[in-house]
Amino acid sequence: MEAPAFDLNIPEARADVPESAPQEHPHILARDFSVFYGSNAAVRQVTFNIPRGLVTAVIGPSGCGKSTFLRAINRMNDLIPGCHTRGELIFGDQNVYGPQIDVAALRQRVGMVFQKPNPFPKSIFDNVAYGPHILGIRDRRKLAEIVERSLMRAALWEEVKDRLSDNALGLSGGQQQRLCVARALAIDPDVLLMDEPTSALDPRSTTRIEDLIAELRGTYTIAIVTHNMQQAARVSDFTAFLYEGWLIEFGLTQQLFTRPKEKQTEDYITGRFG
Amino acid sequence: MEREQSPDREQSPDALAARRSDLLMSARASRAKRVVAFAGQSLLFLLTSSSAIVVLFIFYFIFKDALPFFQLRSLGEFLGSNRWYPTASPPEFGSLAIFLGTGLVTLGSIVLAVPLGVSAAVCLSDILPFGLRQAVKPVIEILAAIPSVAYGFFALVVFAPLLQESGGRLLSVAVWLVGVPICGLIVIVLSESVAARLPSEQRAGGRIVAMLLLGVLTVWGLYRASRGAAGLEIVSGTNALNVSIILGIMALPTVVSVSEDALQAVGRELREGSYALGATRAETILRVVIPAAGSGILAAVILGIMRVIGETMVVWMASGNAAQIPDPWYNFLEPIRTLTATIAGDMGEADHVTGSARYHVLFAMALSLLAISFACNLASEWVVRVQRKKLKG
Amino acid sequence: MQLGTRRLLDRAFSGLGFISIGLMAASLLVILTPIFVRGFGAFVFQGTIEFRRMQLERFERGDRDEIEAELTTARRARQPVYEMLDAFDTEMGEMGFLERREYEGPREELEDALRELLGPRPEDPVPVMARDQYGATRWDRAREKIDLVLYRTEYDYSDRTRMGVPVSVPRVEDFRGTALEALFDYVELHATEMLRPRWTLYLRFLTDHSIDAHFFGGIWPEVLGTLYLTLGAMIFALPMGVVSAIYLVEYAGEGRLISLLRTFISTLAGVPSIVFGLFGLAFFINTLKITESKSLLAGSLTLATLVLPTVIRASEEAIRSVPTTYREAALSLGASKWRAIVTVILPASLPGILTGVVISMGRAAGETAPIIFTAAVSVGKALDFAKVKFWETLSEATPALPWNIYNLATEHEAVDEIRHVQFGMVFTLVMLVLILNATAIFLRARISKKLRG
Repeated sequence: MEAPAFDLNIPEARADVPESAPQEHPHILARDFSVFYGSNAAVRQVTFNIPRGLVTAVIGPSGCGKSTFLRAINRMNDLIPGCHTRGELIFGDQNVYGPQIDVAALRQRVGMVFQKPNPFPKSIFDNVAYGPHILGIRDRRKLAEIVERSLMRAALWEEVKDRLSDNALGLSGGQQQRLCVARALAIDPDVLLMDEPTSALDPRSTTRIEDLIAELRGTYTIAIVTHNMQQAARVSDFTAFLYEGWLIEFGLTQQLFTRPKEKQTEDYITGRFG
Repeated sequence: MEREQSPDREQSPDALAARRSDLLMSARASRAKRVVAFAGQSLLFLLTSSSAIVVLFIFYFIFKDALPFFQLRSLGEFLGSNRWYPTASPPEFGSLAIFLGTGLVTLGSIVLAVPLGVSAAVCLSDILPFGLRQAVKPVIEILAAIPSVAYGFFALVVFAPLLQESGGRLLSVAVWLVGVPICGLIVIVLSESVAARLPSEQRAGGRIVAMLLLGVLTVWGLYRASRGAAGLEIVSGTNALNVSIILGIMALPTVVSVSEDALQAVGRELREGSYALGATRAETILRVVIPAAGSGILAAVILGIMRVIGETMVVWMASGNAAQIPDPWYNFLEPIRTLTATIAGDMGEADHVTGSARYHVLFAMALSLLAISFACNLASEWVVRVQRKKLKG
Repeated sequence: MQLGTRRLLDRAFSGLGFISIGLMAASLLVILTPIFVRGFGAFVFQGTIEFRRMQLERFERGDRDEIEAELTTARRARQPVYEMLDAFDTEMGEMGFLERREYEGPREELEDALRELLGPRPEDPVPVMARDQYGATRWDRAREKIDLVLYRTEYDYSDRTRMGVPVSVPRVEDFRGTALEALFDYVELHATEMLRPRWTLYLRFLTDHSIDAHFFGGIWPEVLGTLYLTLGAMIFALPMGVVSAIYLVEYAGEGRLISLLRTFISTLAGVPSIVFGLFGLAFFINTLKITESKSLLAGSLTLATLVLPTVIRASEEAIRSVPTTYREAALSLGASKWRAIVTVILPASLPGILTGVVISMGRAAGETAPIIFTAAVSVGKALDFAKVKFWETLSEATPALPWNIYNLATEHEAVDEIRHVQFGMVFTLVMLVLILNATAIFLRARISKKLRG
């Protein structure tokens, strides 16, 4: 197999991630996991582990089921009528689709950032405080504390600290997306799911989000769906390649992009299709 | 659950962690949650179905109070006779004239509103530039918003005296206004078709001759018609014509907005296909767009009819309220009486405690109205469904 | 067909479209112009000294000294009229019986006409009815009354094939050679001095109660009744409508039951308004007996059922137009579905819902037929929640603008005398509805702004 012509700059910090991390510190485990829309399978019998505290990218051509897989983790697919699953998806030690799972509690631990920035048409403060408010925190001072910390973590605090009561829709697209990250962080989740978080952003805002992912790495388990392979290579420790619902390959990002084991992976990352 | 500890994470407030509920619910909690969700949904469903219950109640109560009339009197009298003497002894409740009155006014207003409304809708959707369209929209909205009693007041206080004093002159002006554009079009089309039959070298001349001949004929006809109209003497300004005109104006917004929606729903591809074959705008609209939007326009007409039949105040105030069949039946210059106006006008006098036939006959009329509007509603829904199917594939 | 003809037909076709739109706009103009112009006349008009006297005596408005001084001046100008009448009376006393009989009728008519113009003579006892206590309060009415003094109407029956044609005959002919001969010229020349017309702004027409069946005063009871009925209808229809819309958008599936429900709702929207009136009477009053007879409550409930489908439809549309991303964001933060609806979706759709509500309010305010049997009375005082018990006020019947427009225009005993009041009412009602619609347009403009940021 010839080596794909792919320029890869793995940051120093990620160079020593052991290949065995998914087996040793699994956080989310998919076991023969499938998602169906009616009778169509969007994700087919996928099996792999998302390691704790690291960044895992899910790539693949559009329609390959990568977003569906991501949305299955915090059961956002429940909103779509006719959507059902088979197999197991284990978060921590519980099957996400188990009968006694409290979906709201699950979603409080598995935060999500969407493709398009989607702040509520409320003030910046109220956006970030929305989650804690649901958890029952009404004390204004405590809320302010959480809002400040979340905005700081999302690297947005300096830009908005003087206008917390402004409408969030007045922010730029990149700022809105970081606000959405801050909003997700405010309820202190274990996992952060990012569904093509930069596809609607300009390059500069994209860089800031990627920097943010690098900063959050280690603190949160992050799963990011992207169809930008450079981005996957830049930000992730592990990469899963999905094609037509099947998991074709999963491994260290570095290896997957430089020495892909499968022909389809190679074709995709070298841009032959997709 | 074990957590990876990082320095940043330690600042996480206990408040948040403590408030988080467990990922797993106990069987009981899960059942309780499901029960609450089900109960909530059922409550919402019940509240929502209250509008359905209201409809059923309306049918039930109107039917309940209409039934005694048919037990006291006969359906044959109700629909077959035009002798309406509810206060005579013995009273008579022949409502044929009243039904005909409703029909006459509906006919008159629809004849006015449909051509006007549909051509306005065509103009709005295909001819006017965007800016002008935005300027016309408020006109339609205001026409729709004006309360019916204001229309009725205008019909009674402003329009009726005008009709009575100079109705003939108004009508003759109207004959010219309506006649000239329509007859002009007919003349052009006719002379064109005459010319088409001639050999090609005589065609140009033939067209001009035909046009002149037909033109003179039309002008003479219009002149006669307008003279005839000017000579008309209108005894009372509160008559079927007055009401038809006002109701036609009231039905316009419905007809315009619904048929405009239907025209807009016809895709651009269809129009472009026709233009690409060299058709003019008029040909495209008449041959392609309007046939494609046909059922939508039909729905607009049905909704317009519903609006007119159900209207009370205008007819009550300005129709003259005479329970008679005009002579001849299409004589719009005579006062008439409609179902809605009869209900509104007689209810106050009918004794609704003892339940006389006079009270119940009004409910029988309401039942007829309800049946008509229900049928219209079903028809329009069906038509819209057909339209949607047609446009989809 | 020839290309030239086709082009001509194309032009003509467009022309027909423009004509239709022009006709539509023209009919709107034709209908609104008299309503606006003459309705405006209820608020701004040339008021006579009689108007100012009425305002002073009935509402204690204006400078008493000034008005009394003006009244004295006006009465001084009227004095010659009365002197001439008195002189004629003496003259009549000296006539023979037959001659006197001939003059008695015309003199009586003249005195009545003068009383309508100037009010009762100062030395006469005060009449019982308020309408008899004052002369013409408005100069436009006064001019008609002057015509009544100067001319009497006779009918010409010479053409037997037609109805009698009215002809005006100068009254002066009746009194040639008597002391009254000079009266007519005097009235014609000195009318302004006797009545002293002056441009008056009567904004309180809106907030005054009416005196003597709308002969004088304003339309406050009607305005208030309309406002209460509209608000009452909204209090019932808004929560029901919004909840139904939430259910239909967020919870209801595509089942047969739901499509039946939708058919019912559209049927409700098509029920003629007069049938709602009968239903309100038969159900709320005769069956449920929520109140003994017509009442504010029964009327509000009836109007609420009338506007319910409109509110449902508007709210449904507003909720549907909230982007799914909001829903997803709220749920991904662990909100329950209901919570997401209450905290995110409803606030985001609020302007849209309000737009629908405001338009429905316009509809409820203008509807007449449903309240004829359930709420409206022709004469009544303004509802007052402060003075009486809440429930008692709710179960009271009320005058309302739409009903009273009908009533004053068709059933009032002196329809022509109070045209200005009728036009004032129509003007007020139309303005109310137009303002509500303008609010809706404003709200709609705000929605797009807010949702787009």
